[in-house]
Amino acid sequence: MRWLLEPYADPGFYRVGAYLLLGLPLGVFEFTIVVTGLSLGAGLAVTLLGLPVLLATFLLAAQLASFERDLAATMIEAPMPRQFLRRDAAGFGWRRLRARAGDRRSWTEVAYLLVVRFPLGIAGFVVVVTLLSLALALALYPILYAAGVPVELGTWQVDTFPKTLAVAPISVLFLLTGPRIMLAWGSLTSRITSRMLGWLDGADVKQAVVDVLGRAGGADAFTILDEVGLRLGRGPFLTPTKLEATLLTLESTGTIVAAQVDDRTRYSLAMLEPVA
Amino acid sequence: MDDFGEMALREREARRIARRQWFWLHFAVYATTQVFLIIVWALSSATYPWYIFPLFGWGIVVAAHAVFAFVVRHPDEILIERARREHES
Repeated sequence: MRWLLEPYADPGFYRVGAYLLLGLPLGVFEFTIVVTGLSLGAGLAVTLLGLPVLLATFLLAAQLASFERDLAATMIEAPMPRQFLRRDAAGFGWRRLRARAGDRRSWTEVAYLLVVRFPLGIAGFVVVVTLLSLALALALYPILYAAGVPVELGTWQVDTFPKTLAVAPISVLFLLTGPRIMLAWGSLTSRITSRMLGWLDGADVKQAVVDVLGRAGGADAFTILDEVGLRLGRGPFLTPTKLEATLLTLESTGTIVAAQVDDRTRYSLAMLEPVA
Repeated sequence: MDDFGEMALREREARRIARRQWFWLHFAVYATTQVFLIIVWALSSATYPWYIFPLFGWGIVVAAHAVFAFVVRHPDEILIERARREHES
Protein backbone atom coordinates (compact mmCIF):
# COMPACT_ATOMS: atom_id res chain seq x y z
CA MET A 1 0.00 0.00 0.00
CA ARG A 2 2.81 2.39 0.92
CA TRP A 3 4.55 1.56 -2.39
CA LEU A 4 1.37 2.57 -4.25
CA LEU A 5 0.98 5.86 -2.35
CA GLU A 6 4.65 6.94 -2.38
CA PRO A 7 4.50 8.65 -5.84
CA TYR A 8 2.00 11.26 -4.57
CA ALA A 9 4.70 12.68 -2.27
CA ASP A 10 7.37 12.62 -4.98
CA PRO A 11 7.74 15.78 -7.15
CA GLY A 12 9.24 13.54 -9.86
CA PHE A 13 5.86 11.88 -10.35
CA TYR A 14 4.22 15.21 -11.25
CA ARG A 15 7.09 15.96 -13.63
CA VAL A 16 6.52 12.60 -15.36
CA GLY A 17 2.77 13.36 -15.55
CA ALA A 18 3.44 16.80 -17.08
CA TYR A 19 5.90 15.28 -19.58
CA LEU A 20 3.36 12.67 -20.67
CA LEU A 21 0.64 15.32 -21.05
CA LEU A 22 3.00 17.50 -23.12
CA GLY A 23 3.59 14.51 -25.43
CA LEU A 24 0.46 15.09 -27.49
CA PRO A 25 0.92 18.79 -28.43
CA LEU A 26 4.69 18.51 -28.80
CA GLY A 27 4.49 15.26 -30.78
CA VAL A 28 1.93 16.70 -33.19
CA PHE A 29 3.89 19.98 -33.58
CA GLU A 30 7.24 18.28 -34.21
CA PHE A 31 5.78 15.66 -36.53
CA THR A 32 4.04 18.37 -38.60
CA ILE A 33 7.20 20.48 -38.91
CA VAL A 34 9.45 17.58 -39.95
CA VAL A 35 6.95 15.96 -42.34
CA THR A 36 6.20 19.31 -44.00
CA GLY A 37 9.89 20.18 -44.33
CA LEU A 38 10.94 16.80 -45.70
CA SER A 39 8.07 16.48 -48.18
CA LEU A 40 8.43 20.09 -49.38
CA GLY A 41 12.21 19.76 -49.67
CA ALA A 42 12.07 16.38 -51.44
CA GLY A 43 9.28 17.61 -53.75
CA LEU A 44 11.20 20.74 -54.74
CA ALA A 45 14.59 19.01 -54.93
CA VAL A 46 14.44 18.78 -58.76
CA THR A 47 14.29 22.61 -58.94
CA LEU A 48 17.25 22.87 -56.49
CA LEU A 49 15.06 25.07 -54.28
CA GLY A 50 14.34 21.96 -52.23
CA LEU A 51 17.95 21.56 -51.11
CA PRO A 52 18.00 24.56 -48.74
CA VAL A 53 14.56 23.48 -47.51
CA LEU A 54 15.93 20.01 -46.74
CA LEU A 55 18.95 21.51 -44.98
CA ALA A 56 16.68 23.84 -42.97
CA THR A 57 14.57 20.82 -41.99
CA PHE A 58 17.65 18.92 -40.78
CA LEU A 59 18.81 21.97 -38.79
CA LEU A 60 15.35 22.47 -37.30
CA ALA A 61 15.06 18.76 -36.47
CA ALA A 62 18.42 19.01 -34.67
CA GLN A 63 17.12 21.94 -32.59
CA LEU A 64 13.88 20.11 -31.80
CA ALA A 65 15.84 16.98 -30.84
CA SER A 66 18.09 19.08 -28.62
CA PHE A 67 15.00 20.50 -26.90
CA GLU A 68 13.61 16.97 -26.51
CA ARG A 69 16.93 15.81 -25.01
CA ASP A 70 16.83 18.58 -22.37
CA LEU A 71 13.13 18.02 -21.68
CA ALA A 72 13.51 14.24 -21.24
CA ALA A 73 16.63 14.65 -19.07
CA THR A 74 14.89 17.20 -16.82
CA MET A 75 11.41 15.75 -16.56
CA ILE A 76 11.76 11.96 -16.86
CA GLU A 77 15.46 11.71 -15.94
CA ALA A 78 16.45 10.12 -19.24
CA PRO A 79 20.26 9.72 -19.29
CA MET A 80 21.72 11.99 -21.97
CA PRO A 81 25.33 12.78 -22.88
CA ARG A 82 26.51 16.27 -21.91
CA GLN A 83 28.09 16.84 -25.28
CA PHE A 84 28.87 15.13 -28.56
CA LEU A 85 30.59 15.98 -31.80
CA ARG A 86 28.43 16.82 -34.80
CA ARG A 87 29.98 16.16 -38.17
CA ASP A 88 29.10 19.37 -39.92
CA ALA A 89 30.30 21.99 -42.38
CA ALA A 90 29.93 25.77 -42.16
CA GLY A 91 27.41 27.79 -44.17
CA PHE A 92 24.07 27.01 -45.67
CA GLY A 93 25.00 25.26 -48.88
CA TRP A 94 25.50 21.92 -50.54
CA ARG A 95 28.51 20.88 -48.42
CA ARG A 96 26.60 21.35 -45.19
CA LEU A 97 23.55 19.49 -46.53
CA ARG A 98 25.83 16.61 -47.57
CA ALA A 99 27.48 16.58 -44.14
CA ARG A 100 24.11 16.55 -42.37
CA ALA A 101 22.60 13.94 -44.68
CA GLY A 102 25.68 11.73 -44.14
CA ASP A 103 25.52 12.06 -40.35
CA ARG A 104 23.83 9.16 -38.60
CA ARG A 105 22.73 11.47 -35.78
CA SER A 106 20.66 13.64 -38.17
CA TRP A 107 18.70 10.62 -39.36
CA THR A 108 18.09 9.21 -35.87
CA GLU A 109 16.81 12.63 -34.79
CA VAL A 110 14.44 12.80 -37.75
CA ALA A 111 13.35 9.17 -37.14
CA TYR A 112 12.73 9.94 -33.47
CA LEU A 113 10.57 12.97 -34.24
CA LEU A 114 8.63 11.17 -36.98
CA VAL A 115 8.06 7.62 -35.82
CA VAL A 116 8.76 7.61 -32.09
CA ARG A 117 7.87 10.91 -30.43
CA PHE A 118 4.54 11.29 -32.21
CA PRO A 119 2.95 7.88 -31.37
CA LEU A 120 4.67 7.68 -27.99
CA GLY A 121 3.44 11.19 -27.12
CA ILE A 122 -0.13 10.33 -28.05
CA ALA A 123 0.02 7.05 -26.10
CA GLY A 124 1.44 8.78 -23.00
CA PHE A 125 -1.24 11.46 -23.14
CA VAL A 126 -3.97 8.81 -23.46
CA VAL A 127 -2.56 6.85 -20.49
CA VAL A 128 -2.59 9.93 -18.19
CA VAL A 129 -5.97 11.26 -19.30
CA THR A 130 -7.65 7.84 -19.09
CA LEU A 131 -6.30 7.12 -15.61
CA LEU A 132 -7.19 10.60 -14.33
CA SER A 133 -10.68 10.48 -15.87
CA LEU A 134 -11.47 7.04 -14.47
CA ALA A 135 -10.19 7.92 -11.01
CA LEU A 136 -12.00 11.25 -10.79
CA ALA A 137 -15.21 10.38 -12.65
CA LEU A 138 -16.09 7.35 -10.54
CA ALA A 139 -15.29 9.20 -7.30
CA LEU A 140 -17.53 12.09 -8.40
CA TYR A 141 -20.54 9.91 -9.35
CA PRO A 142 -22.42 10.49 -6.05
CA ILE A 143 -21.98 14.28 -6.38
CA LEU A 144 -23.01 14.24 -10.06
CA TYR A 145 -26.08 12.13 -9.22
CA ALA A 146 -27.04 14.48 -6.40
CA ALA A 147 -26.70 17.43 -8.81
CA GLY A 148 -29.14 15.74 -11.20
CA VAL A 149 -26.62 14.87 -13.93
CA PRO A 150 -27.52 11.55 -15.64
CA VAL A 151 -24.82 9.00 -14.82
CA GLU A 152 -23.94 5.79 -16.66
CA LEU A 153 -21.06 3.33 -16.60
CA GLY A 154 -20.77 1.76 -20.04
CA THR A 155 -24.24 0.38 -20.76
CA TRP A 156 -25.17 0.28 -17.08
CA GLN A 157 -27.45 3.13 -15.89
CA VAL A 158 -26.34 4.28 -12.43
CA ASP A 159 -29.79 5.57 -11.54
CA THR A 160 -29.93 5.33 -7.73
CA PHE A 161 -27.79 6.95 -5.07
CA PRO A 162 -26.68 3.60 -3.51
CA LYS A 163 -25.48 2.49 -6.97
CA THR A 164 -23.30 5.63 -7.27
CA LEU A 165 -21.84 4.87 -3.85
CA ALA A 166 -21.17 1.30 -4.95
CA VAL A 167 -19.10 2.33 -8.01
CA ALA A 168 -17.23 5.15 -6.25
CA PRO A 169 -14.70 2.81 -4.54
CA ILE A 170 -13.56 1.60 -7.99
CA SER A 171 -11.93 5.01 -8.35
CA VAL A 172 -9.72 4.13 -5.37
CA LEU A 173 -8.28 1.30 -7.44
CA PHE A 174 -7.29 3.76 -10.18
CA LEU A 175 -6.05 6.34 -7.67
CA LEU A 176 -3.78 3.67 -6.17
CA THR A 177 -2.50 2.00 -9.33
CA GLY A 178 -2.59 5.04 -11.65
CA PRO A 179 0.64 6.68 -10.43
CA ARG A 180 2.63 3.45 -10.74
CA ILE A 181 1.27 2.86 -14.26
CA MET A 182 2.21 6.45 -15.19
CA LEU A 183 5.70 6.06 -13.73
CA ALA A 184 6.18 2.76 -15.59
CA TRP A 185 5.13 4.43 -18.84
CA GLY A 186 7.48 7.34 -18.08
CA SER A 187 10.32 4.90 -17.46
CA LEU A 188 9.67 3.14 -20.78
CA THR A 189 9.56 6.51 -22.57
CA SER A 190 12.80 7.51 -20.85
CA ARG A 191 14.57 4.35 -22.04
CA ILE A 192 13.39 4.76 -25.64
CA THR A 193 14.27 8.48 -25.73
CA SER A 194 17.68 7.84 -24.21
CA ARG A 195 18.37 5.03 -26.68
CA MET A 196 17.42 7.15 -29.70
CA LEU A 197 18.67 10.61 -28.76
CA GLY A 198 21.25 9.88 -26.08
CA TRP A 199 23.78 7.68 -27.86
CA LEU A 200 27.44 8.50 -28.27
CA ASP A 201 29.40 7.92 -31.43
CA GLY A 202 32.59 5.85 -31.01
CA ALA A 203 34.61 8.87 -32.23
CA ASP A 204 33.24 10.99 -29.35
CA VAL A 205 34.48 8.50 -26.76
CA LYS A 206 37.82 8.07 -28.58
CA GLN A 207 38.40 11.82 -28.59
CA ALA A 208 37.46 12.10 -24.91
CA VAL A 209 39.85 9.23 -23.98
CA VAL A 210 42.71 10.83 -25.93
CA ASP A 211 42.00 14.21 -24.26
CA VAL A 212 42.01 12.61 -20.80
CA LEU A 213 45.24 10.73 -21.46
CA GLY A 214 46.81 13.83 -23.01
CA ARG A 215 46.06 15.80 -19.86
CA ALA A 216 46.84 13.12 -17.28
CA GLY A 217 49.82 11.58 -19.04
CA GLY A 218 48.64 8.07 -18.19
CA ALA A 219 45.79 6.43 -16.30
CA ASP A 220 44.08 3.12 -15.67
CA ALA A 221 40.67 2.33 -17.17
CA PHE A 222 38.76 3.14 -13.95
CA THR A 223 40.25 6.66 -13.86
CA ILE A 224 39.64 7.12 -17.59
CA LEU A 225 35.99 6.07 -17.14
CA ASP A 226 35.54 8.59 -14.32
CA GLU A 227 37.23 11.40 -16.27
CA VAL A 228 35.39 10.67 -19.54
CA GLY A 229 32.15 10.39 -17.52
CA LEU A 230 32.76 13.85 -16.03
CA ARG A 231 33.11 15.23 -19.51
CA LEU A 232 30.41 13.35 -21.42
CA GLY A 233 28.06 12.32 -18.60
CA ARG A 234 27.25 8.84 -17.30
CA GLY A 235 24.54 6.55 -18.59
CA PRO A 236 23.93 3.62 -20.91
CA PHE A 237 25.80 5.54 -23.62
CA LEU A 238 29.08 5.20 -21.65
CA THR A 239 29.47 1.74 -20.18
CA PRO A 240 32.62 -0.15 -19.11
CA THR A 241 32.17 -2.36 -22.20
CA LYS A 242 32.07 0.66 -24.52
CA LEU A 243 35.20 2.11 -22.90
CA GLU A 244 36.98 -1.25 -23.04
CA ALA A 245 36.16 -1.56 -26.75
CA THR A 246 37.33 2.02 -27.35
CA LEU A 247 40.62 1.38 -25.52
CA LEU A 248 41.18 -1.81 -27.55
CA THR A 249 40.49 0.06 -30.80
CA LEU A 250 42.86 2.89 -29.85
CA GLU A 251 45.49 0.35 -28.85
CA SER A 252 45.14 -1.58 -32.10
CA THR A 253 45.54 1.62 -34.14
CA GLY A 254 48.65 2.53 -32.18
CA THR A 255 47.18 5.70 -30.66
CA ILE A 256 47.65 4.50 -27.09
CA VAL A 257 49.86 1.92 -25.41
CA ALA A 258 48.94 -0.36 -22.53
CA ALA A 259 51.18 -1.63 -19.74
CA GLN A 260 50.26 -4.08 -16.99
CA VAL A 261 50.75 -2.66 -13.46
CA ASP A 262 49.68 -5.15 -10.75
CA ASP A 263 46.00 -6.09 -11.45
CA ARG A 264 45.33 -3.04 -13.59
CA THR A 265 46.26 -1.99 -17.09
CA ARG A 266 47.71 1.48 -17.40
CA TYR A 267 47.16 3.38 -20.63
CA SER A 268 49.12 6.30 -22.07
CA LEU A 269 49.30 8.14 -25.36
CA ALA A 270 51.64 6.75 -27.97
CA MET A 271 51.63 9.98 -29.96
CA LEU A 272 50.59 13.55 -29.38
CA GLU A 273 48.36 14.09 -32.42
CA PRO A 274 44.60 14.10 -31.73
CA VAL A 275 42.52 11.21 -33.09
CA ALA A 276 40.58 11.92 -36.28
CA MET B 1 41.82 -10.09 -17.62
CA ASP B 2 42.33 -7.11 -15.32
CA ASP B 3 39.87 -5.64 -12.77
CA PHE B 4 38.26 -3.32 -15.30
CA GLY B 5 37.87 -6.16 -17.81
CA GLU B 6 36.05 -8.18 -15.15
CA MET B 7 33.75 -5.27 -14.38
CA ALA B 8 32.96 -4.87 -18.08
CA LEU B 9 32.35 -8.62 -18.36
CA ARG B 10 29.89 -8.55 -15.44
CA GLU B 11 28.09 -5.61 -17.06
CA ARG B 12 27.74 -7.56 -20.33
CA GLU B 13 26.46 -10.61 -18.49
CA ALA B 14 23.89 -8.53 -16.61
CA ARG B 15 22.71 -7.02 -19.89
CA ARG B 16 22.48 -10.46 -21.51
CA ILE B 17 20.45 -11.84 -18.57
CA ALA B 18 18.09 -8.83 -18.68
CA ARG B 19 17.58 -9.29 -22.43
CA ARG B 20 16.66 -12.95 -21.94
CA GLN B 21 14.33 -12.21 -19.05
CA TRP B 22 12.49 -9.64 -21.18
CA PHE B 23 12.19 -12.21 -23.95
CA TRP B 24 10.70 -14.86 -21.64
CA LEU B 25 8.25 -12.30 -20.26
CA HIS B 26 7.22 -11.40 -23.82
CA PHE B 27 6.90 -15.09 -24.70
CA ALA B 28 4.72 -15.77 -21.64
CA VAL B 29 2.36 -12.91 -22.56
CA TYR B 30 2.28 -14.15 -26.17
CA ALA B 31 1.59 -17.78 -25.22
CA THR B 32 -1.12 -16.86 -22.69
CA THR B 33 -2.88 -14.58 -25.17
CA GLN B 34 -2.76 -17.18 -27.94
CA VAL B 35 -4.15 -19.91 -25.67
CA PHE B 36 -6.93 -17.53 -24.62
CA LEU B 37 -7.74 -16.71 -28.27
CA ILE B 38 -7.79 -20.40 -29.24
CA ILE B 39 -10.17 -21.15 -26.34
CA VAL B 40 -12.43 -18.29 -27.47
CA TRP B 41 -12.34 -19.68 -31.02
CA ALA B 42 -13.06 -23.25 -29.82
CA LEU B 43 -15.97 -22.13 -27.63
CA SER B 44 -17.52 -19.97 -30.32
CA SER B 45 -19.39 -21.55 -33.19
CA ALA B 46 -17.08 -19.97 -35.77
CA THR B 47 -15.44 -22.50 -38.02
CA TYR B 48 -12.91 -20.20 -39.68
CA PRO B 49 -9.61 -20.42 -37.75
CA TRP B 50 -9.10 -16.65 -37.33
CA TYR B 51 -6.74 -17.19 -34.39
CA ILE B 52 -3.92 -18.02 -36.84
CA PHE B 53 -3.56 -14.33 -37.75
CA PRO B 54 -2.45 -13.13 -34.29
CA LEU B 55 -0.64 -16.46 -33.80
CA PHE B 56 1.62 -15.90 -36.82
CA GLY B 57 1.56 -12.08 -36.88
CA TRP B 58 2.70 -11.70 -33.31
CA GLY B 59 4.77 -14.89 -33.68
CA ILE B 60 7.04 -13.10 -36.16
CA VAL B 61 7.70 -10.39 -33.55
CA VAL B 62 8.39 -13.04 -30.87
CA ALA B 63 10.82 -14.82 -33.23
CA ALA B 64 12.61 -11.52 -33.93
CA HIS B 65 12.80 -10.88 -30.18
CA ALA B 66 14.30 -14.35 -29.65
CA VAL B 67 17.00 -13.63 -32.24
CA PHE B 68 17.74 -10.31 -30.48
CA ALA B 69 17.86 -11.98 -27.04
CA PHE B 70 19.88 -15.09 -27.88
CA VAL B 71 21.83 -14.48 -31.08
CA VAL B 72 22.54 -10.79 -31.76
CA ARG B 73 25.61 -9.34 -30.03
CA HIS B 74 26.74 -5.76 -29.82
CA PRO B 75 29.78 -4.95 -32.02
CA ASP B 76 31.70 -3.83 -28.89
CA GLU B 77 31.24 -7.31 -27.37
CA ILE B 78 32.46 -9.01 -30.56
CA LEU B 79 35.50 -6.70 -30.66
CA ILE B 80 36.41 -7.38 -27.01
CA GLU B 81 36.01 -11.15 -27.30
CA ARG B 82 38.04 -11.26 -30.52
CA ALA B 83 40.81 -9.22 -28.87
CA ARG B 84 40.74 -11.51 -25.83
CA ARG B 85 41.02 -14.63 -28.03
CA GLU B 86 43.96 -13.09 -29.91
CA HIS B 87 45.59 -12.19 -26.58
CA GLU B 88 45.17 -15.73 -25.24
CA SER B 89 46.45 -17.51 -28.38
